[in-house]
Amino acid sequence: MDQNTRNDLLQLFREKLNSAMTYYLETCTRCGICTEACHVYASMGQVKHISAYRHEIVRRIYKKYFKARGKVWPSVGEAKELNETALEELYESAYSCTGCRRCMVYCPFGIDTQMIMSIAKLLLIGAHSEPEILTLLADTSIEKGKSLDLFKESFMEGVKKLEKDVVKKWKMEAGETAIPMDVVGADLLFVALAGAHSIIPTAAVFNAAGEHWTLSFFEAVNFGAFVGDPTRTQLILDRILNEAKRLKVKEVCICECGTAFRVMKQLAADQPFKVSSITEVHARYIKSGRIKLDPSKLNGPVTYHDPCQIARNGGVFDEPRYILKHLTNDFREMSPEPKYNWCCGGGGGLVALGEDTLDFRMKSARVKADQIKTTGVTTLVTACENCHTQLNNLNDHYQLGVNVKFLTSMVADALMQ
Amino acid sequence: MNEEIKVDKTLDLKGLPCPMPILKTSRGIKEVEIGQVIEVLSTDPGSLADFPSWTRSSGNELLKTDQSGEVTKFYIKRLV
Ligand code: SF4
Ligand code: SF4
Repeated sequence: MDQNTRNDLLQLFREKLNSAMTYYLETCTRCGICTEACHVYASMGQVKHISAYRHEIVRRIYKKYFKARGKVWPSVGEAKELNETALEELYESAYSCTGCRRCMVYCPFGIDTQMIMSIAKLLLIGAHSEPEILTLLADTSIEKGKSLDLFKESFMEGVKKLEKDVVKKWKMEAGETAIPMDVVGADLLFVALAGAHSIIPTAAVFNAAGEHWTLSFFEAVNFGAFVGDPTRTQLILDRILNEAKRLKVKEVCICECGTAFRVMKQLAADQPFKVSSITEVHARYIKSGRIKLDPSKLNGPVTYHDPCQIARNGGVFDEPRYILKHLTNDFREMSPEPKYNWCCGGGGGLVALGEDTLDFRMKSARVKADQIKTTGVTTLVTACENCHTQLNNLNDHYQLGVNVKFLTSMVADALMQ
Repeated sequence: MNEEIKVDKTLDLKGLPCPMPILKTSRGIKEVEIGQVIEVLSTDPGSLADFPSWTRSSGNELLKTDQSGEVTKFYIKRLV
């Protein structure tokens, strides 16, 4: 690595050093409490996957370039040069961490490994060594924001074709639109994943609740956040913020996508609208009697997998359980305390990398598979697209024999007309 | 229907949700030569927004979109 590149990367590092980050980098006492907390280490037993080891790789670079002792006398502070080998180590650490933050719940100092890994990811992006497929997907999303006029008509036409399936789940009066789009003054903007499976059931529930809603032109998922690029993350988010402001909605509701929800909640705090997850909205409809569910649709024991970004990192624990109480009388908790739930092993962009990460995803989530098996359920419910894909893969790989379902689809299928 | 477009490879991505059509297409297009054309079949409505944006951001050319049936067909010329 030449000196100019190193200087550029160190500048990126410096930009990340706010007070929280400095605290995280200076505080770890190596007490080891977080060791068993990471599902990757607990499943595979390799030291390089221990949470504290992951941040030590970043910390050594910090010591060398940003701490007085490291600069003068590198060997004492275990300072480490930023070079090609360091980049390889950073890659291994950062893209095998799902950002689930389970380790943070255990750490007595609340050290946020996911945040420290964001330095690693930023340096890798600066060195053009990130998984390029994630950047490609992020750039496609950004381009979409710039060229709405190019696809607006054809997308609306494509969405129109889904309306007959929405009406099958919830009948409507003649003249009503099953999937409204581009409605100025709507109360709620729903940001889906662009697939039919994400739009159809949710549309039926909105219509059943008599919601004044409109479907976003953009997909919720934020590939910029997966790759760890703050600039791309913001540009992808801006598409939705601008649409919400243009339509003057009061609420932006994010579909079953954990990362999209966390990013929107954290980065859109000062907006003139409220941000909700679809799970919170559905719980609200049930509470206020706007929808009624038929509990006889579901047979056998049921458990719920809390998506890390919605529960531990997004604060939504009670609502999915409240909804499930209306769908089954045999609900079983997976973990005695939901905040300690194991990650599914698919976050941080690993699922989006598809087949390339399948082997690692299966090996590193063995503890998750064991946890599911112990519940003895036949239905495994979740509220995140990434988790759903990963849990399905685990179901096949470990022959768990469960039916993996989206909470939203279950609500839509149990609607009482 | 497409007498004017000569297709060199077809990718059948029916039933795959977002982002799979884009992921598979960005890999699949590498299997034809620059200047050749792939036909992509998709049932995901998101593809109608994704493909025009992906071809622009990746530097390839979307020659035509045919959404007359249940399955949408995209004709993409590899330029890079
Ligand atoms: S629990 Fe916290 S302080 Fe202890 S080793 Fe892990 S990160 Fe460091
Ligand atoms: S955030 Fe999750 S995956 Fe990353 S080190 Fe902590 S426990 Fe492991």
